Amino acid sequence: MKRRTALALATLLAPLLTGVAGAAGKSLTVGASVFPDSLRSGTSSYASLSLLEQTNDPLVARDNEGGLHPALAASWEMVDPTTMRFHLRQAVKFSDGVELTADDVVFTIGRVLDPQTAYAMLSRIGQVQGAAAVDKYTVDVKTKTVFPTLLRGLSDIIIEPKHYYEKVGADAVAAHPMGTGPFVFKEWVPGDHYTLTSNKAYWSRPPSFDTLLIRTIPDGSTRVASLVAGESQIIEEVPIDLIDQVNQSGSAKVAEISTTVGLVLTFDTTIKPFDDPKVREAFDYAIDKKLILAQILKGQGEILQGQVLTKGVLGWNPDLKDRGYDPARAKKMLQDAGYDFNTPVPITTQNGKYVSDTDICNAVGGMLTQIGVKATVNVVEGGVFQQMSNAFKLGPLYMIGWYSVGDADFASVWYTKAGLRTKWSDPEYESLFVAARSTNDVEQRVKDYNRMMAILDDQTPSLFLFGLPSLYGVSDGINGFGAAADKLLRLTHVQIK
Amino acid sequence: MAGYVARRLAFLPLTLLLVAFATFVVLRLTGNPVDIFLDVNRTPEQVAALTQRLHLDQPLPVQFLIFLWDLLHGDFGESLQFSGSAAAVVGQRMGATLQLAGAGLGLALGLGVLGGIVCAVWRDRLADTVISALAVAGQSMPSFWLGILLIEFFALQLHWLPTSGYGDLRHLVLPAVTLAAILMPNFALITRTSVIELMGEQFVVTGRAKGLSRLRVLVTHVLPNALNPVLSFLGIQLGTLMAGSIITETIYAWPGVGRLLINSIFHRDVPVVEASVFAIAIAIALANLLVDVLQMMIDPRIRQA
Repeated sequence: MKRRTALALATLLAPLLTGVAGAAGKSLTVGASVFPDSLRSGTSSYASLSLLEQTNDPLVARDNEGGLHPALAASWEMVDPTTMRFHLRQAVKFSDGVELTADDVVFTIGRVLDPQTAYAMLSRIGQVQGAAAVDKYTVDVKTKTVFPTLLRGLSDIIIEPKHYYEKVGADAVAAHPMGTGPFVFKEWVPGDHYTLTSNKAYWSRPPSFDTLLIRTIPDGSTRVASLVAGESQIIEEVPIDLIDQVNQSGSAKVAEISTTVGLVLTFDTTIKPFDDPKVREAFDYAIDKKLILAQILKGQGEILQGQVLTKGVLGWNPDLKDRGYDPARAKKMLQDAGYDFNTPVPITTQNGKYVSDTDICNAVGGMLTQIGVKATVNVVEGGVFQQMSNAFKLGPLYMIGWYSVGDADFASVWYTKAGLRTKWSDPEYESLFVAARSTNDVEQRVKDYNRMMAILDDQTPSLFLFGLPSLYGVSDGINGFGAAADKLLRLTHVQIK
Repeated sequence: MAGYVARRLAFLPLTLLLVAFATFVVLRLTGNPVDIFLDVNRTPEQVAALTQRLHLDQPLPVQFLIFLWDLLHGDFGESLQFSGSAAAVVGQRMGATLQLAGAGLGLALGLGVLGGIVCAVWRDRLADTVISALAVAGQSMPSFWLGILLIEFFALQLHWLPTSGYGDLRHLVLPAVTLAAILMPNFALITRTSVIELMGEQFVVTGRAKGLSRLRVLVTHVLPNALNPVLSFLGIQLGTLMAGSIITETIYAWPGVGRLLINSIFHRDVPVVEASVFAIAIAIALANLLVDVLQMMIDPRIRQA
């Protein structure tokens, strides 16, 4: 009797112990830091897009460095200055076997444009008027004005199946996404994991492994532990202070790339004395960015060179240099400007929104205090920060990160009046921004953005601090994975050794 | 006693109403879900559409009444982040939390009381000194730190247990121990004190004089009386247990209500926050009632009062 029970137990347990590896073939496990609450398309988070792009492809895809490549659109050309024609890849099938056609693209773009959808990434293709099918494999995307960032914007929009939406409805699609992507939905457990199987019929190279498991592990040290223990092969967002632990584990390494997020401290230039550019400049001299980069960011990332753009982004101005650290000069400049050293300067920041945000603010606060400025750090919760931001009441100095995803347009808009995110404004900057947005001439655009960056450097509406790093932990047991600047998981080239 | 339970249950809706009101007001006043949900460069049309859908264009009292009206129909509303009803979203996650809280509480109660008895029986001896010292150390150890140490030792060094995640019994061990560590020291110290106190009582001395063995006196006379203070403490600490489970769930990637709640607060997903808080409030209220009933069953004096 006892033996029989033991036998039954063993039979029950056996699949638990061996099942995953044995029956299902090769499997890849990813430890995700931020896990979206649902698989609904169009939320504003890249964590969400990262999961959605496993099952669905955009027309134009980005690579880890931010370069654009044909995806569902095999090629494209301008028909007139406000119409782009896309030629779809033929014989691409959704995972239910239905062929992708121009109708799906038209449907997707229509869905994105409909305000009722509340598609948060709409702004990425904000100037688009609509899309129309020319024939089964050709789509024209019309824009309201000349729209130079159309391709880059479309790389954030996944193409979804029209027939599937019509059959099951948007809620059911969110519960069980289906697309043309490299993986096929298998199971989604909110707050725990997402399981997918590889799409053997993928139009590009199908993944070399069979199962993909993306687990949420919100705590940084637990994530590292799961990598080192071999439970996961890739983890997102290695905490800066655990980089050494990963590299010294003997079983995994940290992969790093610069993101396009420029971390800045923005002034409210309507609050005196910060209306004076000399005061703002003096603050810039007071901050030892090299020290913060070395000590807090452990050398990861880069120092912004007097501009919001990170190195290499279209429009980045190579002639500008960070002012450098000179506290004596900072203090002298403040004295010359008649600065009242009793002015309280609270630095408003969120905690955990950006890498080491609060730590960096504390360091900046300390450095300002050293030259006699009464600086304090005011940490607020995300929702409260949003509210203060909308009311334009973030105080004299606040921390924020602006991402560009490769094109200056997306980050430079925050220094225009239309961006509604800074009180500082400059007529020349405004007109250059409009000009750069209204031409498809790349050379002209770069020239305009370069000049705009020079204006930012000269006027110092923000203290331009760091380009933030994107850090992944990668097991030595796999090949072919690279850190992504935009933090989207690209797993088709991963080989399990 | 049935009348007492009925009276207590009758007050439950009032408690819940107060909880609902407080949660609603705090969430609505500290952030607008539309800003958080939509991208920074949202269009005005999108903002208008979503604002209308969530009734955010109405004055706050009207919003609350709409919310209450839906609630009376058993509807917490549609979750903003998830697709589906908020109640269903919370329901999905409740099992994991109850499992963790149950295991943690059972462990804390069992080991805590046992430890307390050992300390009291061998008072001022080696066992007492060691356990009391451990209890004080445990009490002052923050859960997130303990959690990391446990993962480091049992998952990375010994390879006995998985680092995190939800699944079979092995996944439950470390989270349950971490959660138990919050309350266990208190249970041990309270049991120790009350057992020591009771050992000097006349009925205990009488029992020994009648010729009962030490063990018999301990089990039949001392323990039932010693349990009452432990239960009172447990009733008070259920909130702490829930707070502890939020941290524990985060460390071990446990898919429970605690993490859901934190996430929903960040997103100002009011329906889900309300549903989670309701579930937690009901669980705590019912558990408190259970504690009171147990105490009445153990101690006739409470029944009469």
